[in-house]
Amino acid sequence: MDYDPMAMDDPESLGPVVKVSESGKVRVKFELSNAELAFANSLRRVMLAEIPTIAIDLVEIEENSTVLADEFIAHRLGLIPLNASGAENLLYSRDCDCDEYCENCSVRLTLHAKCTGDEIMSVCARDLVPSSERINQTLGSPIITDEAGMGSLILKLRPGQSIKLQCIAKKGIAKEHAKWAPSAAIGFEYDPHNKLHHIDLWYEQDPKAEWPPSEYADWEEPPQEGEPFDYDAVANRFYFNVETSGSMPPQEIITEGIKVLQTKLAGLIHELSDEGDGDYNGPRSPEFGGGGVDGGWQDQGYTTPYGNNAGGSWSGPGGGTTPYGQTPYGGSGGWQ
Amino acid sequence: MASVNPQHNNAPECVWIILFETFLLGDGEKKITETVVTSMSNCSDFLLKKEDHTLGNLLSEYLKKADKVLFAAYKVAHPNVAEVLLRVQTDGTITPREAFISTCKLLVSQLGHTGREFQKELALRQFADQGDQGGAGDGL
Ligand SMILES: [Zn+2]
Repeated sequence: MDYDPMAMDDPESLGPVVKVSESGKVRVKFELSNAELAFANSLRRVMLAEIPTIAIDLVEIEENSTVLADEFIAHRLGLIPLNASGAENLLYSRDCDCDEYCENCSVRLTLHAKCTGDEIMSVCARDLVPSSERINQTLGSPIITDEAGMGSLILKLRPGQSIKLQCIAKKGIAKEHAKWAPSAAIGFEYDPHNKLHHIDLWYEQDPKAEWPPSEYADWEEPPQEGEPFDYDAVANRFYFNVETSGSMPPQEIITEGIKVLQTKLAGLIHELSDEGDGDYNGPRSPEFGGGGVDGGWQDQGYTTPYGNNAGGSWSGPGGGTTPYGQTPYGGSGGWQ
Repeated sequence: MASVNPQHNNAPECVWIILFETFLLGDGEKKITETVVTSMSNCSDFLLKKEDHTLGNLLSEYLKKADKVLFAAYKVAHPNVAEVLLRVQTDGTITPREAFISTCKLLVSQLGHTGREFQKELALRQFADQGDQGGAGDGL
């Protein structure tokens, strides 16, 4: 199998180019260029739907004298962003050996509030108390980003009303339920002047006057007056705006998304390369007795063609094992 | 494994789960199977279970661009059935499976490259932002 469509002298000189224009606590804006539309879009899709995080999945209500129905409250609890740092060390409950849930596959949070004053009382995410039996002391903590330090509003209590419940937060992906999405939104844009005519702008008199220019309009050459349509042109520069829901830093959403996509591809390579003994266990549903991702596919990694000369200052020592080594790229210590 | 997912507990036949489950492989289900297409030369169909356009579009677009590949296309036949069918035909100097594997490898390395580029650019951005803040704060 010495067929390599992209054999080249200096691999780092080709391939996608990234420019980060903004990086903060809430969002990262970056441009991906020298890449295919399919590549950029798959990265976007995987960041939206397939990065594992943690969210409340089971609620046991002991006492509820509020005006809200139990299931209404349970639904609101599910949507509260929880800190996902260290979620890679948390098992999926379906893969765990326990009966239903345990500290290896879940985080327990309790909520107990009673309105004893004579004012209406707000119960917020900060009132959710995670138990100390968890794999690290940040995993599953409610995310609080507002200045008052309250977190998301769960419900309100009138004088005398109370709520007492227990939540089990589990690991999952947004493909199963959107509450596991690490991103609040992902902006994805290309071709700000619509030179490729991938969209038809609706207008009354003049689309130029009625549509505000994109913030990236200055980054690309506007079309010349009377310029003929280029039938061979393809999208090449993609502008991402990754906004976190709070569960992980926005920078991490991007690196994790890349890892998830690499792991998917590595699984395919593995299963096609040595069929017979090959038993790549993709995630398997538990009622069939399938194993988790801890099958036998992690012991043999192949090295990416790019990996070994990534010895720049960024990738750490000798990086380059694929996802079924330890880290998909870079050294084992993660990013340097 | 003894674990039981309460969500799926009440479906002993499980047929609809295999069909409609979007990301967990069912019992005995293989992630990917290759079927040789006998009506075309050097051609195979790859069936990817519990996958969607994320891999289907990515792989077919890159296979189309690959050397020695004459034809590549994919379909998700029904939006409720998490299966991707990908057809690959080569010129005969390599097998469709070899083309498929090397395209996957290419993508893994491109993604790795993208990750390193991102990390590098992110560090530069953070360094520049710190410089800006420091400058403004000190009134320099
Ligand atoms: Zn467990």
